[in-house]
Amino acid sequence: MAEKTVLTLGRIRFAVQLVMLFVTVYGSVIVGTYMADKISNALPALSCAYDQMNGGYCVLIPTQHILHHRIGEALVRAQQLTFGMVLPLLMTFLTFFAFFFVIGKAFCGWVCPLGTLQEWIGKLGRRFGIGVRRFVPGDLGNVRRVRPLKWLILLGLVFVLPLATGLGVTPHSLGNPYCDICPSRVATTLLTGNTEQLALRLGDGVSFTLGAIANLLVGFTLVGALALRQPFCRICPLLAFNAVFQRLSPMRLAKPSREKCGSCHICTEACPMDIPEISQQEGRKAYHEECTLCGRCAEYCPQDGVIRLKWGPWSLFSSSRDYYKGRVQRELPDGTVKPLKFVKSAARTTHGAADA
Amino acid sequence: MKRSLCLLLLLAAPAFAQHDHASAPATGTEAALPASRPASPRWTSQPLLLPARGPRGERAAALLRPEGIAATHVTVYAPEGPSERLKVEYPVGPEGARIEAAAPKIGNYHWVIAREETPDAVRVASTAWYFSNPGDSPQALLQQVKHELEIVPEPLPREHGSYRESEKWRFLVRFQGQPLANQPVMLETAFGTRSTVLTDAAGYATVLFPRDFKPAADRREGGDHGPRRVPFVLSTAKELDGRRYLTAFNSSYGEDADRDRSLGWGVAFGLVGMLAATPLLRRRNDTHGEAKNG
Repeated sequence: MAEKTVLTLGRIRFAVQLVMLFVTVYGSVIVGTYMADKISNALPALSCAYDQMNGGYCVLIPTQHILHHRIGEALVRAQQLTFGMVLPLLMTFLTFFAFFFVIGKAFCGWVCPLGTLQEWIGKLGRRFGIGVRRFVPGDLGNVRRVRPLKWLILLGLVFVLPLATGLGVTPHSLGNPYCDICPSRVATTLLTGNTEQLALRLGDGVSFTLGAIANLLVGFTLVGALALRQPFCRICPLLAFNAVFQRLSPMRLAKPSREKCGSCHICTEACPMDIPEISQQEGRKAYHEECTLCGRCAEYCPQDGVIRLKWGPWSLFSSSRDYYKGRVQRELPDGTVKPLKFVKSAARTTHGAADA
Repeated sequence: MKRSLCLLLLLAAPAFAQHDHASAPATGTEAALPASRPASPRWTSQPLLLPARGPRGERAAALLRPEGIAATHVTVYAPEGPSERLKVEYPVGPEGARIEAAAPKIGNYHWVIAREETPDAVRVASTAWYFSNPGDSPQALLQQVKHELEIVPEPLPREHGSYRESEKWRFLVRFQGQPLANQPVMLETAFGTRSTVLTDAAGYATVLFPRDFKPAADRREGGDHGPRRVPFVLSTAKELDGRRYLTAFNSSYGEDADRDRSLGWGVAFGLVGMLAATPLLRRRNDTHGEAKNG
């Protein structure tokens, strides 16, 4: 029985993620070998510079390098902090923003290779009937408890430690500490068949420890993503970095009013980041710092026009009851789908949301 | 809105190229500089352009010392910049030749040659120098014909990459701009390895960098951080009309990453991480309706 193929926002996003995974991991076959050929070295996605085949670099690596090699070293030479020293950092941020301006935090939900991998592993988990775990009271606890971590990692590992290393306060092996613990570095290089980044550096305790943390995170993320949606995104400093600028991009999530909201909380259930604010709040507060602009909340909102993906004044996607009805036929809000036939059926069949 | 985006892209354009991290190949041995033809280092008789230590923190300049070749100047080809800066000659002084990027804010690979010419022979030492500022891709620079017999890396290592032990890299051998098939290319390393490969029908020599690093007491001899690096030189020669053309390309290669890394430990920590996540796979007893929003 051939099921009629319907073009949903989810399927469009899947196609975009597929293309962007290729671009961010293997893109040099299209754009060229050298860094100068790359799309940018300030992409708002975890496109790893250690991947020798990628098509663009994550903004976090030049940020750490500039703080370490330029600003820190310049300060230690007791020179005046001039515009010339800060300029590279400003240019990196400006380049980042040139990209970010276009699709904002959708870089997280549509482009980031690690985000895509986690999501696909989650889909696999659903296919094999592994139940979704969520950061909600009664399961893994309140999501607000993990939220500050991404800010601490951004501040400590992307800004403070590289600068301290440039100043000579901390050892050289702490020059780019975020990259050293980044699971995307290990995962994306493994996708190119390179095991070098998985191997731990010996003879230097700091490097060994940072590498070990990265591998723990990779292992945890790959298995944890089977049950917990987007486990690493919850502590990703790039999500925090993007959140700083999210109000400056025309691309956004809009829930102007709760008047027509049925308070069914299905949007939060559909949200891979378990954001309660999308169902509880309206206006600016509904577009939360955790949002990756994946659009699932809008897809699974059963009310017409309550949640929208917007670019400037234009509505790119708007929630509707008819769309919702079709969507839940194929996939429940938490991502549960029909399990593969050779696996004993384990998917929860009771799902209040489907009846909403 | 569109205009704002264009303006932003224009403003950001210089930063679209690579960022600063001088991890591209750099060579390492240092020796005295005699007056006429400087002596070659002990490990090779080929002409070389070796880096000497310049002022720390100077990102737009470098000191290169010709060895085994009597050159009065070196010629630097830039990947971009004002037309008068695309090819610049720098005199060789007692310390070597102090070369500069085409402009302080223009970096990426620059191609450097030293040339010694007599009626019977033309000897060329060549290398690629990486200035860490952003700059154009070296693709066009490498395609440009710069002298008679050339060894052209295809490609050069990009940032965060380098020539390393046990890796294969391709080099194109050209004579008067045309690929040379079946041309012998000799590899010599500072650790004493010698090997010769022949170019294929398209003129490419595929060079396997030997796994010949010796245990070193003085690690980090190639720089203050990163893996150890030592120099190598590729050379080839051809005679035409009674004149002998010899060209060398020197750079450096590093240790195989496996030498100071443990895949076993890496896998072990990855498995521990996986194990730590397995409690998440246990099924909850509650239903979705009960687990509502915090």
